[in-house]
Amino acid sequence: MHADDVVRCHVLVIGSGGAGARAAVEAAAYGETVMISKTLIGKGGCTTMAEGGYNAVLRELDGCPMHVEDTLRGGAFLNDTALVDALVTEAPARMADLVRWGAVFDVTDDGQVAQRPFGGQRFPRTCYAGDRTGHEMMMTLAERLRASPVEHLQEMTVIELLRDGDRVSGAVALDRRGEMVVICADATVLATGGGTQVYDISTNSAAGTGDGYALGYRAGAELVDMEMVQFHPTGAVYPYDARGRLITEAVRGEGGILVNAAGERFMHRYDPDRMELSTRDVVARAIATEVLEGRGTVHGGVYLDVTHLSPETIEERLPIMLEQFLQFGVDIRTQPMEVAPTAHHLMGGLRITPEATTTIPGLFACGEVTGGVHGANRLGGNALADTQVFGKRAGESAGRAPVRAHSVDIAQVDAQYDRLDAFFEGTAPPSTITDRLKLAMWRDAGIFRTGAGLRSLAATLTELSAEKPKASGPANLLECCTVENMLVLSSLIVSGALLRRESRGAHVRTDLETAWPPEASPFGHTYQSIRGKGIEGVRP
Amino acid sequence: MNKTKPLTVRVSRYDPATDDAPRYETYTVDANEGARVLHVLHAIHDDLDPSLSYRYCCGSGQCGSCAVRVNGEPALACMKEAEDGMTVEPLNLPVIKDLTVDLAPLLDRLAAPATAADAQLPTKEEIEAIKPLRDCIECLSCVSECPAIKVAEFLGPTHMRQEMRIALDPRCTDDRIEKAIEEGLFTCTTCQRCVQVCPKEIRTPGKAIEKLREIANRKGLTLPRHVEVANLVRDTGRSVVRTEATFLEQVPEVIEPDAPVRGEVGFFVGCMYNGRVPQNALDMIEVMKRNGIRVIVPHDQVCCGSPLIRTGQTWVLEALKKKNIAAFESRGIATVMTMCAGCGSTLKNDYDTPFEVKDVSEILTEYGIEPPAKLDLRATYHDPCHLLRGQGISAQPRELLRMAVKEFVEMPNQCCGAGGGVRSGLPEEAAALGKLRDEEIRKTGAEIVVTICPFCEFHISENTDRPVKNICSVLLEGYREKDRRKGH
Ligand SMILES: Cc1cc2nc3c(=O)[nH]c(=O)nc-3n(C[C@H](O)[C@H](O)[C@H](O)COP(=O)(O)OP(=O)(O)OC[C@H]3O[C@@H](n4cnc5c(N)ncnc54)[C@H](O)[C@@H]3O)c2cc1C
Ligand code: SF4
Ligand code: SF4
Ligand code: FES
Repeated sequence: MHADDVVRCHVLVIGSGGAGARAAVEAAAYGETVMISKTLIGKGGCTTMAEGGYNAVLRELDGCPMHVEDTLRGGAFLNDTALVDALVTEAPARMADLVRWGAVFDVTDDGQVAQRPFGGQRFPRTCYAGDRTGHEMMMTLAERLRASPVEHLQEMTVIELLRDGDRVSGAVALDRRGEMVVICADATVLATGGGTQVYDISTNSAAGTGDGYALGYRAGAELVDMEMVQFHPTGAVYPYDARGRLITEAVRGEGGILVNAAGERFMHRYDPDRMELSTRDVVARAIATEVLEGRGTVHGGVYLDVTHLSPETIEERLPIMLEQFLQFGVDIRTQPMEVAPTAHHLMGGLRITPEATTTIPGLFACGEVTGGVHGANRLGGNALADTQVFGKRAGESAGRAPVRAHSVDIAQVDAQYDRLDAFFEGTAPPSTITDRLKLAMWRDAGIFRTGAGLRSLAATLTELSAEKPKASGPANLLECCTVENMLVLSSLIVSGALLRRESRGAHVRTDLETAWPPEASPFGHTYQSIRGKGIEGVRP
Repeated sequence: MNKTKPLTVRVSRYDPATDDAPRYETYTVDANEGARVLHVLHAIHDDLDPSLSYRYCCGSGQCGSCAVRVNGEPALACMKEAEDGMTVEPLNLPVIKDLTVDLAPLLDRLAAPATAADAQLPTKEEIEAIKPLRDCIECLSCVSECPAIKVAEFLGPTHMRQEMRIALDPRCTDDRIEKAIEEGLFTCTTCQRCVQVCPKEIRTPGKAIEKLREIANRKGLTLPRHVEVANLVRDTGRSVVRTEATFLEQVPEVIEPDAPVRGEVGFFVGCMYNGRVPQNALDMIEVMKRNGIRVIVPHDQVCCGSPLIRTGQTWVLEALKKKNIAAFESRGIATVMTMCAGCGSTLKNDYDTPFEVKDVSEILTEYGIEPPAKLDLRATYHDPCHLLRGQGISAQPRELLRMAVKEFVEMPNQCCGAGGGVRSGLPEEAAALGKLRDEEIRKTGAEIVVTICPFCEFHISENTDRPVKNICSVLLEGYREKDRRKGH
């Protein structure tokens, strides 16, 4: 470890997705800011992939109270109201930032940012850039960052946070070749995004392995509601290797209908009022039930059909969907899509305050890695808004953190060297562990859960954690760290699911009666940290 | 339900830190039905060789991380269906390792717009104009294949796309046109290779480069040689100076065939065949006569405007279009034939014509021609950019050429450097690209090079010692040889 391998800065932002990039833009105003990410900017994480849109109250007829209420209702009242208030009240201003910086959102004839309806919302408040909304945001933020003094360490992956006493004081990372880099910072922002790659069927990018949850957990931060995993109702089922790929909710927003193999438009049996535009948890369970009860297609899905829309509408509003399906041999202008639920979003994550502080000093967090904003189920369009609102707040809070003397604790760095060295002695190729993990998680921590299933899953996780991931060369060390992170995240999901003895939002325990509507639930957040775990509220 | 099948693939492996040169490794994996190239790479990495390096992230064609060359052509690994026997190589960019190329330095040079602090939302029209340029996923396939970058100081097609995106946005306050020129705006030959390889089908030359050149023109920044050409067109209706008797001066308006009439076409001659290389057009007339095709040549036709569009000087364009359309429409011509790839591409793509436009190779293959004698030659064919990509024509010229020579050999296709005003404006760049063509020609061992574009014919012949001939001239030679053999 040479002293010149240490990067020193005021703010270290981990992750260059929507939340991290926004945090870095903000933090740069306060001092030297370094943004580090596993991927190239705009080429990694889930923000780039977000298609549908960004929720913001922009019209007279809409209102913040209505957006708050929709968010709480969608979230089965598990959301932190202070976080929801911040999200809803600031989403429009953060949208305005993007527009000011040159974002190319769709615009109406009368010169306003265009909005489309999205599930679970009583007003069409989802702003969009065709069906490449997140990509547009990332391009805008990348343009902004290119013109800023933010230093960007690309394709470097944080493997552990550094601590100075009980504070977070930076991070240890690996570059592409497996060389270690140490970064010291006065304040660190965790913006590593989500982690549904722990499931066999997932919408997430390859970066969605949940590193941040594990990094935060190991550093001592508290996480809430980790059992809350959103299964998006419409993922692709074919081809097999592309299973889980998201079919955007905008397809239903634009009028797409769901039909089972028998040709029946089945949503009337699950939510006759909102039909296809019901919340994601409801639609996902409806599709899963249709398939479980034998009314699914040969590929194990149902049909999502837009053929009643004009070809022009499809070409203009859903160009990416059209293009992707064409590549897989389906013309959605004339043929229905086949869809089934897919693991999409983690509502749980690091506990934050509205100022984006975590439970440990020196560590801030924003974006999907945090918990509490979306409660037990996220509304489509709220996550992109979340990245901007809390990204700015995290950047600002981190920027305002006091300047400190940096000192690297060699023991912590050495511990990482030891950890890495052990991988060279490992025995299991990383993919053999993750393949088994993903299947087990899908089976027992999926849409429908039982206590028995979760307990056997916990045992499987213990077994898998005992395996020793093997690095064939330095460049493979990273994959071993990732496996460890995925196992930590999975354990957090499973113990959260065992702690929550009710069905609520995305979390369904089929082995328990839930005798209350969500608003009357006696339970609050589940919480977990290295110091202990539990569920808020009293057992009835 | 899910079928698997074995696939054998060849993958380029290279670690610049330890290897002198890339090598190919062959792997056989079990792939699921419908597997993409990326899934095959995963299988190799997970089951056979964990040291294989490649980049990916979204798996759904949205992030632009995964572009590689599959059987030589750029493609997104996550979208391109895997094939048995395929070869996977990195893009033509500096390799970090195996299939991973160094994108970051190129991405860093994409222009960052400066927007006003009180910037307002653009109108719907303004947004709609920018949108097509915004679909770019920055995969850099276009940059990796652009011929201009190989020989000139040019950042790349997508960098020009970004410049145009800024130029179109009323929120962006800085005037960057001089920057765009510094970045190489005038080095683009408009060869359309970038469009061909773009997974998002972004029309950078037409939608960005030519438009930026228009902006440059309005600011008086057009290259002096290009201004001269525009003035010449304005004054004479032609983009080349008359040095000898022109084609139009040598032929009547209606040329009746020798053989019974099988068809009729109008002929749009273009400035080069009219004024610089009329003999090639006269050869074409002989071929038509022999094959029963009546050729009508309106004498009031003028320059198609291509040299002006490509260089951003569109101010005289409307008058030219009107005149040309009237020339053919007034004579009731249903099919207009071009012989110049540039004119053909312009009439097809930049005009809105009341008649059909076809290249001479389309006309000849559609009607079917009398077989010529096969010349005792080994020939190669150069695809003119404006024919191959501008008009999607590649099979017809080959079909004709195979009839006319004993041996036909392919060579890899690349712009010769004559297009986009580069030959006149930046002759050194054009010559450098011409030399690259010569290298490929030599590799084929061909005795002649055949093509169908006066610019390519002229330019390549200046850069190679092999004769460069128009396909019609070769066919005519074949007929003459046939007659000779018959003892006429
Ligand atoms: C397919 C898809 C479509 C979606 N559509 C919508 C939508 O329409 N509307 C909506 O509101 N939400 C949508 N979402 C959800 C939303 O996109 C995400 O919740 C949100 O973008 C997350 O942003 P983020 O910045 O927190 O993380 P990400 O954008 O995922 O970025 C994470 C960043 O962290 C980096 N990183 C991860 N681990 C490490 C590490 N160990 N070291 C260094 N860097 C690391 C990654 O490289 C990446 O740069 C969608 C999600 C998906 C997957
Ligand atoms: S048209 Fe040809 S020369 Fe011009 S940018 Fe595209 S690839 Fe390069
Ligand atoms: S213009 Fe097309 S080929 Fe070039 S970087 Fe963008 S998406 Fe890729
Ligand atoms: S992995 Fe993102 S485009 Fe292929």
